[in-house]
Amino acid sequence: MRKTLISFTLAAWVLMTLVIAGVAQVKVAPLDIKERTLPNGLKVVSVQDNTSPTAAIHVWYNVGGKNDPQGKSGFAHMFEHMMFKSTKNMPNEKMDRLTEDVGGFNNASTWDDFTNYYEVVPSNYLETLLWAEAERMVNLNVDDKNFASERDVVKEEFRQSVLAQPYGQLFEYVSSLSYTQHPYKRGVIGDLDQLNAATPADAKSFYDLYYRPDNAYLIVVGDFDQAKFDTWTDKYFGRVKRPTASIPRVTIKEPARTKETRYEKTAPNVPFPAVAITYLAPPSKDADIAALRVANKILSGGESSRLYQSLVYKQQIAQEASFNLDNKVDGGLLYFFAIASEGKTGAALEKALLAELALIQTKGITPKELEKAKNQLISDAIESLEDNDGKAIAIERSVAYEGDPKLVNTNVKRLQAVTAADVQRVMKKYFTDTNRVVIHYSNDGGAK
Amino acid sequence: MKNTLTLLCVLCALVMSSFAQEMPPAPGVPKAVSVPAVQEKKLPNGLTVAVVQKSQVPLVTINLLIRAGASGEDASKAGLADMTASMLTKGTKTRTATQIAEAVEFLGGSISSGAGWNTSFISVTVTSDKVAQAMAILADVVLNPKFDQKEIDLLKSQSLDGLTYNLKQPSFLANYVASKYSFNEHPAGGTPASIGVISRADILKFQQDNYNPANSVLVFAGDISAATSSSLAAKYFAVWGKGKRPIKELRLDRLTKIGSADTSGPRPIVNRFLVVDLPKSGQASVIYAQPINGIGRSDARYFPASVLNSVLGGGYSSRLNQEIRIKRGLSYGAGSSFAWRSWKANFATRTQTKNESAAEVTELVIDELRKLSTTPTAESELIPRKSGLTGPFGLSLETTGGLANAIGELYGFGIPSSALNSYVANVNGVTDAQIKNFALDNLLGGDIVIVGDYSIFRADLAKRFPKMTVDVIKADDLDLSKDNLRK
Repeated sequence: MRKTLISFTLAAWVLMTLVIAGVAQVKVAPLDIKERTLPNGLKVVSVQDNTSPTAAIHVWYNVGGKNDPQGKSGFAHMFEHMMFKSTKNMPNEKMDRLTEDVGGFNNASTWDDFTNYYEVVPSNYLETLLWAEAERMVNLNVDDKNFASERDVVKEEFRQSVLAQPYGQLFEYVSSLSYTQHPYKRGVIGDLDQLNAATPADAKSFYDLYYRPDNAYLIVVGDFDQAKFDTWTDKYFGRVKRPTASIPRVTIKEPARTKETRYEKTAPNVPFPAVAITYLAPPSKDADIAALRVANKILSGGESSRLYQSLVYKQQIAQEASFNLDNKVDGGLLYFFAIASEGKTGAALEKALLAELALIQTKGITPKELEKAKNQLISDAIESLEDNDGKAIAIERSVAYEGDPKLVNTNVKRLQAVTAADVQRVMKKYFTDTNRVVIHYSNDGGAK
Repeated sequence: MKNTLTLLCVLCALVMSSFAQEMPPAPGVPKAVSVPAVQEKKLPNGLTVAVVQKSQVPLVTINLLIRAGASGEDASKAGLADMTASMLTKGTKTRTATQIAEAVEFLGGSISSGAGWNTSFISVTVTSDKVAQAMAILADVVLNPKFDQKEIDLLKSQSLDGLTYNLKQPSFLANYVASKYSFNEHPAGGTPASIGVISRADILKFQQDNYNPANSVLVFAGDISAATSSSLAAKYFAVWGKGKRPIKELRLDRLTKIGSADTSGPRPIVNRFLVVDLPKSGQASVIYAQPINGIGRSDARYFPASVLNSVLGGGYSSRLNQEIRIKRGLSYGAGSSFAWRSWKANFATRTQTKNESAAEVTELVIDELRKLSTTPTAESELIPRKSGLTGPFGLSLETTGGLANAIGELYGFGIPSSALNSYVANVNGVTDAQIKNFALDNLLGGDIVIVGDYSIFRADLAKRFPKMTVDVIKADDLDLSKDNLRK
């Protein structure tokens, strides 16, 4: 992000996108989604909701860290920063003038699979922001001075989120050591050397390749009049031309793992040993993702979850233990992560995590655990849809991971359909001994 | 230097406008943001019940706030208030810690508790069909905590591990040090030494002294009516016995800072330089810290201070972020804040930069403080930075959690909830003269605290600040329980 970057992510499941449809107690009406495609290929999704006088505007581009040019990892994210600089008709930071200065906010984030730009503004500024988003879709300037300065900012972002965090580098290893072929291995933030290799010319060609109406979704939720909104969209986005060149896509498939691989990594200022155990996950559209979300809650959703109860509470070997579903379009990661308590070892963490895995694989889950997990997922869904921006994010995630904004309205139904047998089945299917990468991480120079 | 910069910017603007071919469409007619009404009631035992009904989403946040926090604990027992609140969910007379977590999470909800400097809280958010069950658990943990020794031991070891982890992060470490060095307080999360000595008796005493209905407010925000809220509050909390009279926040008299300032002559912007040396640190954290005694949260100057902060370091477009990040690429972000107490405020600017540029960033921070205290803020800057406060204020009231926080903050300081309705007008009424005077009167004479790899920025710091004496402490030698901060 311009303000926060999401490379690996817990957010992938924290921001899970669900909606209530026909659930027993509380009910939330499905989002009333209007969808159309402009002649230039831009897909427009809108939800009119006049509850509060604000509007959330998201422009989602089908380009992310996985599309970084060869030898220039971190590029897509650095380019995202450039999108706040001048355009033909806007000076640098004009987006801030049109948002922050009138009481709204803006930001953007680059993920492995996509990049989003978004604003929340008082609704009388909606037309202004539609103009501005269309403007930067087509009229961006890339000048050397801005490029150099934003590269320095991104390097500071790297230092802050990776180098200055005791476990920052471990999460970079989770990407780089979990994939052998797929560009997901490079991570979104990249590294300092490859950031230095990027040029303004690279930015220009990246912009031309990927920033175009037929590679984007405009998603707007909030206080507007539908007819006016459609007119504005036609007026400002309709005039953006569709380029003729085809859009390059990542076609590399990560090969299935054939044996367990183990790594020992160190870094300075690491207070306690930690371990990450990763498994390749199915693509985000796979039907098994629903059962994996339920498993995620049972293993890792709160202090009554299995990992907390076992590693943190009863054995007291970990200060933190989690199971994560890092969903990605071409196949993400399922991983266990734990940080040791004072005096405990990474080996003890690995043993305990694998014991919990074996338990769920052999004994399955209880009906009560299943019900609890579903209740938690329903609450998450309702909370995620509390305001206009939350609704826009939920729609955007359905676009990103399932290719269809309307699937946001069936998420809860699909989770409700998960059975205890489904959970046990997916835990056996993906968590095999040969699909395992184990990364131990500790202080360089020995225990600290 | 400053003049040159200004000229350049004027040129920039001219160049921009010269090739601008299209202007953004003008905004439409603004609509008013509605501030929801707070309904308030007192139970016979003195417990205040505050309700804001907002029914669009079937969610309810219930927040019990106790007007006692880290300010009420002894520095040698730093972390006691937070530990007491955290222990509430770790077992009652009839439920174990695991059963409490199990019960709340089965409702699809979450429960959290803790303490800051001013208040302690326990909060739960659930879907509106599960409010009664959630209230039963909330009341049980407040009224019947067991404070089991085994649970205390576990929480203490978790807190110590957490501190060890956080103290490896330059920004955490810088704030932690400034709390004692500059603000004459102690960290609300405790120190390794203080956590070690907190006993069950301390926790019981803190609870008995401070947790009572007259000293508390129960906030309901979301999809729930005032009538339902009142009857739930009465059903579960009427039995809460009347405790001692509400305590006032301790007015610490230790106003003289360590190594007290030379107050003769014109006030320098920086009084002291402290460096905490953290070898191999990935970045340096640079803080400017200045306590403002005598101006508390309910003082009318809260509003000039808030607008000042918005101008200086309150958002992406603030001056610090403009100068440090946007113009020079020296950081991912730079900002400032006031931490409010009932009778004082702690002002700090914060940023992280590569070790190599720590001294340069320090200079930029000082330049901005000087500018703020000598030059009026133009109306063209003031208006958007005021919107930077009022807009997010409106947005924050759109979620039950945001509503509960906004109301809780006011009650924590004994400020009537009608302040929500006057907030926007109060912000908009602030003048440039008030800001300049506030800066001149209150912001200068503070400390620069830098945490990072000193070997990298030592020479540059000496070069840029030849007259300053720099006090250097190795991170491994730090001890906040000592006046000289050293083990």
